[in-house]
Amino acid sequence: MHERRFRFGVMVTNVGSGKEMSELARRAEGLGYSTLFVPDHFVDHQLAPTVALAHAAAVTDTLRIGPLVLGNDYKHPVVLAREVGSLDLLSDGRLELGIGAGWMTVDYEKAGMTLDRPGVRIARLAESITILKGLLADGPFTFHGEHYRVTDLDGQPKPVQRPHPPFLIGGGGPKILALAAKEAQIVGINANLRSGEPTSPDAAHSLVPAATDEKLATLRAAAGDHFDDLEIKTLVGFVHETDDAAGIVEGMAGAFGVTPDDARMAPVTLVGTQGEMVELLEARRARWQMSYHVVGSEVLDTFAPIVAQLAGT
Amino acid sequence: MPGPFRFGVQVSQGESMSDWRDKARKIEDLGYSTLFMPDHFGQELAPMPAIAMAAASTTTLRIGSLVFDNDYKHPAILAKEAATIDVLSDGRVELGIGAGWMKSDYDALGLPYDSPAVRVDRFEEALAIIKGCFTGEPFTYHGEHYRVTDYASFPKPVGLLPILIGGGGKRVLSIAGREADIVGINPNLRAGEINAEAARDSLRERTDQKVQWIREAAGARWDDLEIQMRFFVCKITDDRNSLAEAIAPMFGVGPDEALESGSALVGTVDEVIDQLQQRRDRWGLSYVVVGDENVDEFAPVVAKLAGS
Repeated sequence: MHERRFRFGVMVTNVGSGKEMSELARRAEGLGYSTLFVPDHFVDHQLAPTVALAHAAAVTDTLRIGPLVLGNDYKHPVVLAREVGSLDLLSDGRLELGIGAGWMTVDYEKAGMTLDRPGVRIARLAESITILKGLLADGPFTFHGEHYRVTDLDGQPKPVQRPHPPFLIGGGGPKILALAAKEAQIVGINANLRSGEPTSPDAAHSLVPAATDEKLATLRAAAGDHFDDLEIKTLVGFVHETDDAAGIVEGMAGAFGVTPDDARMAPVTLVGTQGEMVELLEARRARWQMSYHVVGSEVLDTFAPIVAQLAGT
Repeated sequence: MPGPFRFGVQVSQGESMSDWRDKARKIEDLGYSTLFMPDHFGQELAPMPAIAMAAASTTTLRIGSLVFDNDYKHPAILAKEAATIDVLSDGRVELGIGAGWMKSDYDALGLPYDSPAVRVDRFEEALAIIKGCFTGEPFTYHGEHYRVTDYASFPKPVGLLPILIGGGGKRVLSIAGREADIVGINPNLRAGEINAEAARDSLRERTDQKVQWIREAAGARWDDLEIQMRFFVCKITDDRNSLAEAIAPMFGVGPDEALESGSALVGTVDEVIDQLQQRRDRWGLSYVVVGDENVDEFAPVVAKLAGS
């Protein structure tokens, strides 16, 4: 049974040096953030996640680390399992394994990978998760699926967190949420990204409160009693501290074609005074059980008072 | 004219964060230049995250792979990861890469074990992509095996990120002579496993031949190449003859000849230093790699020879 206590993550996409990464990771740890996340794309000037996370782990003691999220199609699951085991072992058990089906069209185009339809990518992800769990568990493992074949392989190294580090699976569509309900310990409630672009109108509309209600209902239905064990996470992409929440929210509403109330409550935004932000986070936890919030590293310091007030409560 | 000696250690396992950190720091403190990791699916740690952590735990130690198998990851991903570690380590990465050879790895992954010709074709294409990625500029490469379109890789390495190509056959060593900054001279592993033929392939005359292939392909580049060898039979001992007799059958030659092979480094500290100097004169060898288990016993050799 998950206690739904608040915890917070920070997402880092780019730093200029190891010194900067070390300072950022230590600051996040010191400010009470639980986890440092790194995304996984080929564009937008992002670092490679597994190695950037390894660096962050090596210079901290308690900060958890996680990719947000690995694109399953970029690496073979046997290669990935070895990296997951190594990262968890060498960080003394601090990894959260964020993984998704892959969605950003431009990643696939640039690297010359085939972007299959969502159903195929999700089926491949499901096989990959089975392989990851099989290789991270004790003993030899065999899996002959539609997309991968693994024969009598005892994956090494084994992780510190047994039977495996927590899986973080995020999504917006019913198929991926059903998979998350079955396989994940942490579920990310995201926009629906079937358009392949993060800022499409389709993606924005999939984030309004009514659509989020639906996602939680889908997740609940898929998870059954297990729902109470799931930690619900979201990425708050827009954090803005202001005395004039109404003005900012109105602007956002116009830009995305939603109502101001919807823009204000959408789980990806957090606009207002510190007190208002705390209220919004409390309201979202009450309505959607969201207790795990991730913000961008550019607001690490401005968001810190909220972390100080809410983390662990 | 070969450059000064430097030394590397190939490490494959660690137990925990403190164990791994201590290992890396010890290798750095003893004067070794580089911590290398292999890339296999037995008991080994995954090289990328492990070298990233070794780099984050040290200040001057270089880190690299000996060597990445090209078939395990898309080259654009490999390049991005290597460049990320390079930026986070202030330019300490050496990217070792090869065409892939260990059959058991391919079986583990369920990947087809293509003929050497196909693996090397793919490797050559991957090399072009990795170099394209390291420019940080948009590039397009449409090959037989990979298609990269208008892609600018990020981050760009700090400076020139050395590419280390290891091999034992003429084709790979010729590619290395033309394309690499560091050339690793290895046994030919076409059998897909380490066997007696692989051991014999490191004997002196065969190594002479390999150096010749590299020189021919390198042309004027030869003078800028760093020649590296990984010594698998390493022992500091004042009784080199007994060990020579023990290993001779593996090579299928007499004891003296076995000791002169390109994979053996046996004798007292002074004898080992002599052998290394002779091999530098003969083969241009200046970059000496030993195993994790040899770190302590070779430290006196490193102390006397590194940088000279």
